Amino acid sequence: MTEQKQDEPLLEQVFTVEGGDFIHAGEVSSKIKKILKEIGVSQDVIRRTAIATYEAEMNVVCHARRGIFRLAIAPGRLVIVVEDEGQGIENIDLAMQEGFSTASEQVREMGFGAGMGLPNIKKNMDDLNVTSEVGKGTRVEMGILT
Amino acid sequence: MRCMRVCPTEAIRIREGKAVILEDRCIDCGDCIRVCPERAIRSVVGSYEDISKFKYTVAIPSPSLYSQFGMSVSPNQILNGLKGLAFDDAYDIGRACEVYITVLKEYLESYSDNKPLISTLCPSIVRLIQIRFPDFMNNLLSLEAPRGIAGSEVKLDKAKELGLDPKEIGTIYITPCPAKMMALNQPQCKSESNLDGALAISDIYGMLFSSINKLGSMEELHNSTGLGISLSIPGGGITCINVDNAVAVDGIKNVMNVLDDLEHGKVTNIKYLELWACPGGCIGGPLAVENPYITKIKVIRLVQQLGRERKIKDDEVNKLREYLSCDVKLSSLPIKPLGRDALDAIKKVKERESIIESLPKIDCGACGAPTCKAFAEDVVQGRAEILDCVFKLQDKIVESSQYALSWARRTPLSFRKRGKRTST
Repeated sequence: MTEQKQDEPLLEQVFTVEGGDFIHAGEVSSKIKKILKEIGVSQDVIRRTAIATYEAEMNVVCHARRGIFRLAIAPGRLVIVVEDEGQGIENIDLAMQEGFSTASEQVREMGFGAGMGLPNIKKNMDDLNVTSEVGKGTRVEMGILT
Repeated sequence: MRCMRVCPTEAIRIREGKAVILEDRCIDCGDCIRVCPERAIRSVVGSYEDISKFKYTVAIPSPSLYSQFGMSVSPNQILNGLKGLAFDDAYDIGRACEVYITVLKEYLESYSDNKPLISTLCPSIVRLIQIRFPDFMNNLLSLEAPRGIAGSEVKLDKAKELGLDPKEIGTIYITPCPAKMMALNQPQCKSESNLDGALAISDIYGMLFSSINKLGSMEELHNSTGLGISLSIPGGGITCINVDNAVAVDGIKNVMNVLDDLEHGKVTNIKYLELWACPGGCIGGPLAVENPYITKIKVIRLVQQLGRERKIKDDEVNKLREYLSCDVKLSSLPIKPLGRDALDAIKKVKERESIIESLPKIDCGACGAPTCKAFAEDVVQGRAEILDCVFKLQDKIVESSQYALSWARRTPLSFRKRGKRTST
């Protein structure tokens, strides 16, 4: 618990993403990107965070009813926690594999659901922690060193 | 006020009834010029008198000029009309466009980045990327635009032909937009521009119109195909280069959306991006005269008539090649972070967010900022004070009048208290 105090965020922002809302998908990613630019975070970190956040947004849009995004900026590190209300993930190890997808045919036809979401987040962020409860929802915590 | 609302990069503030431009955000797109009812915003383009500064002056019209007159007026008539003004010669830019497209094709064949190659024909797009999308700096096409190629060819080759110093030859670009004028002063490819100035199509239109009407015998000044003319509309260039996965986007807001989508990976697999600040491309420029939707038909017809094959020969292309290579390494000009350092910036982001919460969020504009959000940022940056918001001012007046009222209601000790009926 003492460690957490040291990590106390300097800035916290909360965003909501609605499941099935393809039109606004990408907006949270854009907003986070804008804030990071304003703070003066490096280009590389902004780019990787934007890609990871967008993937997380698409996961909520494709698979969940809604998701809450919490951006927390601490010295030297930023963390985004996504908690969604949705079907959850049965086998997280499988979901982390490239190409594995449970997306519906309809979603795939739109060019999404290629099974690259979580692997792409892992590739771009410095750490990733996924927990899930089937039938309830998924919690994705991703962090990057700034 | 209209200019402030329409500015795609929120670069305009109104102060004491006048528009003030925040230079570090302006991309010279000219949207403000288009909407100003007072015609108060003017672009910095040259004047007609500039022509007399040189011994020999050549007009180099943007290909968009060819579509600014009726269907029956040919490019050759337009060039002869230009020559009939105070110019010694008029150069057909179609030639430079043919070289440009030939070299662009080669460039694309050897391009292998996973992000798309971005066209640099539109100088506003280059500035937008420098300011807002620095991540794409390395994807900007590093080739001189046809107007620059034309400038070099006229200035250097004509000088030899006439036995003049290149300095004595004036090259004047006839432009549909202010961005290309600005690009002369802030070169995006060659450190020294071979274009000496620019005149707005709208400024010479009247004179040119009557000059064309008075034309007698004509010289053969136009000697190119429709290739160059096709560059004046979005996608026109793409149909000439024959590349899969090439996309054209026009209108600065649409461009920003696409670049945003590219940045977070929503859009992938594009090889070439042709981006235009103006809706309709160059024929939609703020200094063009004709309605761009009508002119587009003329562009399409001209291209059909003249064909899309290039006329220029390989040895000529090779001769002009050096005029296409850039010696300027463009650097990004990102908008500065909100604060001195990360901590200060975070403090200011928080401050701004809490100010936004307290504002009415109807973007009335009375404070001189385009949105409540932009105003909140102006406050934390010291460009405005919170009481510049009329609603905040009203709150303050209510608060201070209540305070004043509380004093006004006080009565001297010897007086009867108001509303009390007491007998002494």
